[in-house]
Amino acid sequence: MENKNLHNTENHKEHHISSYKDHFSTLLALLLLTVVTVVVSVFGADLRSLSVATALLIATVKVVVVAYYFMHLKYDMKLYTWLVVLVAVLFVAFTALTSIEYFNR
Amino acid sequence: MATVSTDLNYLQGKKGLFSWIFSVDHKRIGLLYLYALITFFLVGVTLGILMRLELLNPGKDLLEAQTYNQIFTLHGVIMIFLFIIPSIPAVFGNFFLPIMLGTDDVSFPRLNLLSWWIYIIGAIMALSTLIFGDGPADTGWTFYAPYSVKTGTNVTMSVLAAFVLGFSSILTGLNFIVTIHRLRTPGMTFLKMPLFAWALYATSWIQLLATPIIGITLMMIVAERFFGVGLFDPSIGGDPILYQHLFWIYSHPAVYIMALPAFGIISELLPTFARRTIFGYKAIAFSSLAIAFVGYFIWGHHMFTSGMSGTGRFIFSILTFLVAIPTAIKVFNWVATLYKGSIHVHTPLLYALAFIFQFMIGGFTGLLLGALATDIHLHDTYFVVGHFHYVMFGGTGFAFFGALHYWFPKIWGKMYNAKVANTAFTLLFIGFNTLYFPMLIAGLMGMPRRYYDYLPEFHLPNMISTFGSWILAVGLILMLGNLIYAYFKSKEKPGRNPWGGITLEWQTQSPPPVQNFDRMPELPKNGPYDFEHKPTIKE
Repeated sequence: MENKNLHNTENHKEHHISSYKDHFSTLLALLLLTVVTVVVSVFGADLRSLSVATALLIATVKVVVVAYYFMHLKYDMKLYTWLVVLVAVLFVAFTALTSIEYFNR
Repeated sequence: MATVSTDLNYLQGKKGLFSWIFSVDHKRIGLLYLYALITFFLVGVTLGILMRLELLNPGKDLLEAQTYNQIFTLHGVIMIFLFIIPSIPAVFGNFFLPIMLGTDDVSFPRLNLLSWWIYIIGAIMALSTLIFGDGPADTGWTFYAPYSVKTGTNVTMSVLAAFVLGFSSILTGLNFIVTIHRLRTPGMTFLKMPLFAWALYATSWIQLLATPIIGITLMMIVAERFFGVGLFDPSIGGDPILYQHLFWIYSHPAVYIMALPAFGIISELLPTFARRTIFGYKAIAFSSLAIAFVGYFIWGHHMFTSGMSGTGRFIFSILTFLVAIPTAIKVFNWVATLYKGSIHVHTPLLYALAFIFQFMIGGFTGLLLGALATDIHLHDTYFVVGHFHYVMFGGTGFAFFGALHYWFPKIWGKMYNAKVANTAFTLLFIGFNTLYFPMLIAGLMGMPRRYYDYLPEFHLPNMISTFGSWILAVGLILMLGNLIYAYFKSKEKPGRNPWGGITLEWQTQSPPPVQNFDRMPELPKNGPYDFEHKPTIKE
């Protein structure tokens, strides 16, 4: 059968080629956020119980930057963005439900 | 109509063991899974019958308490991880999904073969616990901590086996998702896909997203056993309820990995044998996705009596009841499909009807377990064992057998003896209900699960249950014997379309050619169950 790829127009789409500027901007953002993480934890902004949450927040921003620019989510089909969002929603739900249960024991 | 010349069907191609175990043909891989699954299923059945024999009378009859603990654990591990999780997707999904979509294979055929090999390696690891180390695990298939961290039995190998098997599941799910997105035949939009494909699609997402969680959790058990990290063992600062959370975050969605493909099978059988379009196509299709989605958030109902907080119990109980809605949507639509249909009673339909009957019992008993007040009394009793087997065996098991009878003529190009098949079905139906219904009664009376002995007042339901297991065993032997006999001896050729179905697999030869179709399949005008405009299928 020859019908395998007849209908897959997606296969014929041009791939986006990122510019050096995009790559260096991503690198710069990641380095900057790493510095912020270190500054917050080592040089001790007095965040107390929020220190873990802050580190996680910065890490999340880094994940988004990597996925969006370096891994080309920005230039790909919107479906893939929704799939990543779905996984994030599930993860948040797992964590939230377990935490609600734990902190109310 | 374009014609593609094909001389050989997929069974007639290359011969010899290697041509099968290294084949990348989705049909051969489906059959490899089938033969392996049936073998493991029979091992699981044998262990189950041994347990029932021990429970025929109170006191020790046949097995030591420790042996009994190991046997019910191995029975669970084999039936869950080696049979029912892979069952319908691995066998019928592999064989029929590409054909139903009108394509020639799955998206990643080599990955598909790798999935089978990983499955076999995982299976060997699971069964090796019988021989090596200190015997099979005695924890139950749930490997609950802290006991699983402390017991001297071969827990490490068992959880490693489940870890390896998980990869097989993930890769199959990934393959099916890409196949459904990429390889549908021209003109087959998502809303013109057969409902079996929809069910596999929803299942695949669960396989892909939930299975890694159990993998990591089981590795934590290994880490705890070897290094005493303090994750789950309270004596070193761990939290055993955290283990239960992590285990059930996967294992409850896994219930839908087991059940959703069965829903897909029933959605294929009913329109074919009622000769009418399925009632509520979109409702059934989207309810599969809804079940898959809601199924992620209800794991806590397995832990109502484990020391979970009241707030947690309240939230999980409400969420649990939500999943009944999309499930009920399916059942109502199936029954409505039969209404005013032109019903042809053949063996596959009998299995489908038994599925609905038994799955309803499984579902309704599930409501009692989802309600906090009743669950306090029923948790960890035989009621749960009965409920679980009604859903899994009475539901998915019967759907698997129904699918086997439905697609047998297509897979092997031969027809079985219908009278013997119907007799086997009757024995299975009677045997199943005689085996498992008394468990519900024993559970209501308060009999706890997972003990090799019981008080005298539980004798009658246990005796009836054991008799049922014998009837069930005879039914199984008769069913498999009939199919094996047909495979070797049957001269009756079923032709392309013995049941009058209109999904694409009925348009090709029986057995299908290597490339799946000998002529371009013709899509029905208004979706896959359009019996009013069904394509003419010539031999």
